[in-house]
Amino acid sequence: MTSVSIVERGGGPPQRRRRGGGGFSHVLPALVLLLLVFVLPVLLLLLRSVTEPALGLQNYAELVESATYGRVFLNTFLVSAVVTAITVVIGYPIAWLLVILPRRWADLLFGIIILSMWTNLLARTYAWMVLLQRTGVINKTLIGLGIIDEPLTLVNNLVGVTIGMTYIMLPFIILPLVTTMRGIEPDLLRAAALCGAGRLDAFRRVLLPLSLPGIAAGGLMTFVMSLGYFVTPSLLGGTSNMMAAELIAQLIQSLLNWGMGGAAAFALLVLTLALYALQLRLFRRAQAGRA
Amino acid sequence: MSKLLSVGALFGAAILWSTPLLAKDMVFTSWGGTTQDAQKDAWAKPFAKQSGINVLQDGPTDYGKLKAMVESGKPAWTVVDVENDFAVKAGKDGLLEPLDFSVIDKSKLDPRFVTPYSVGSFYYSFALGYNRDQFRKKTPKSWSDLFDLTGFPGKRTLYKWSAPGVLELALLADGVAPDKLYPLDLDRAFKKLDTIKPQIIWWSGGAQSQQLLASGEAPIGMFWNGRIDAIRRSGVDVGISWDQNLTAADALVVPKGTVDKEAAMKFIAFATGAQAQADFALLTGYAPTNTGSKDLLKPDVRATLPDEHTQGQVNLDMAYWAEHRDEIAKRWYDWQGK
Repeated sequence: MTSVSIVERGGGPPQRRRRGGGGFSHVLPALVLLLLVFVLPVLLLLLRSVTEPALGLQNYAELVESATYGRVFLNTFLVSAVVTAITVVIGYPIAWLLVILPRRWADLLFGIIILSMWTNLLARTYAWMVLLQRTGVINKTLIGLGIIDEPLTLVNNLVGVTIGMTYIMLPFIILPLVTTMRGIEPDLLRAAALCGAGRLDAFRRVLLPLSLPGIAAGGLMTFVMSLGYFVTPSLLGGTSNMMAAELIAQLIQSLLNWGMGGAAAFALLVLTLALYALQLRLFRRAQAGRA
Repeated sequence: MSKLLSVGALFGAAILWSTPLLAKDMVFTSWGGTTQDAQKDAWAKPFAKQSGINVLQDGPTDYGKLKAMVESGKPAWTVVDVENDFAVKAGKDGLLEPLDFSVIDKSKLDPRFVTPYSVGSFYYSFALGYNRDQFRKKTPKSWSDLFDLTGFPGKRTLYKWSAPGVLELALLADGVAPDKLYPLDLDRAFKKLDTIKPQIIWWSGGAQSQQLLASGEAPIGMFWNGRIDAIRRSGVDVGISWDQNLTAADALVVPKGTVDKEAAMKFIAFATGAQAQADFALLTGYAPTNTGSKDLLKPDVRATLPDEHTQGQVNLDMAYWAEHRDEIAKRWYDWQGK
């Protein structure tokens, strides 16, 4: 496991704290709270999905049979995958820049990224709506410059959702990537250069493999968060690319169809966990193959 | 995921419900924004002064939360502003307290919006709104114009959710007589909507609808009348057509098992009084449900309210919607997603 050895070399021998028998009782209150607040409600929701409106699996049957639900789920995974891919491509160079920039500039850039994270999500989403619309700044500028004649349709569709979500997810991929990249010895890249590797080779054979844990961690986080995303797709998307969270919210908050809402929520949870497990396994295999 | 967690937290909150209310406090819940601000100023503040009962504000209204509270047995909300079709359905489903009409005087209330479990809190119309900058020569007049892509080109905006309104206006535009609307011919409505589907931008909230109309992103569409009025007052050149305006009301309801039923009834009695209703109408552009409020409003204000445009006005049938909400929703989202 290359990554682990790198991190340990950077941080010195790990000091493991021994957890004695008393440790468990310390975390017990937190555990109970966690169970009560997170696990129990999910179980209750699951229970509703098989008891409302009547005992049985009819909600799940409808979930599988209905073309609408299928389309929403497919779209949810599609959007999340696209957003994750673009986020990695854009986030990677930014993260590397943060690592190699002089401290002062890095801090400034870091501040900008953090600041965007702290700004109200709804405000940021509305801002994109205003920027992207047909009469918005982007279209007006492009028309003014003579690049396009007709305004582009950038919002209320997949393009709008992708742009908005990518922007909002970027910090979540940059931060884990920076952490991983900081652990990479610059000497390794110098060594690669000394051994005759060009820039591309050094990137492909040294930097990329070593930063893979960061990509995997950040990518997974982005993907999983995207699966449950609500506000941004709801406002920037059209109805043909509704995502699962919006459907679930609609079922639970407005239609009071908790049985169906529970079934959809549970399906999303199971699919997410399954995907998480799959990705972990693939990632481990990739690591093992490299080691 | 975040949604799932918040839903989880909702249940968690329902289980852990234990907020003790002060004896003289009640909680009024509504949709937030300018509407709730107006409700606070026109109803809650003067009511507190008169009765000594302090009215705390909460929101936005969330039917899921309301149901969770009622099921937990101790709803923290005393009075809630809901949509009328929900009020009808929730009353039937046993989620609401029956209202005490010995406290609430319903003789002056618009009977269209009174049920054993609810009274109208204000009434609004879905009306045709348009941005004059985009339609200089010819202005749209009717719901048929909304479907006329050559006469009135551009995007149009409609209410996103499966709720009374859009299907009705499609049928009216297709030539169905107002008194023949119900039961809704869903096939025909969706077929009519198909003709403009690629040109539709859906709005999911009032602020969004205003943004779309004011910016010209969607120069024509259906809007809550108060929202068009607010844009106009802010100086944007928008027009409104009251032709076949579709009325619906919000309703005041009391969640079953609420801690202070007595305060709830008193508050509703106050809020639906002539003066409180007139004050609210003045602030919002929505019509009063109390027939005595008219005399308390100036003619120029009255002209902007739906109750001055009753000619050709079409009532959305809340009882029908309460009955068929689920089945319509299924078709609605299926069609929308295609």
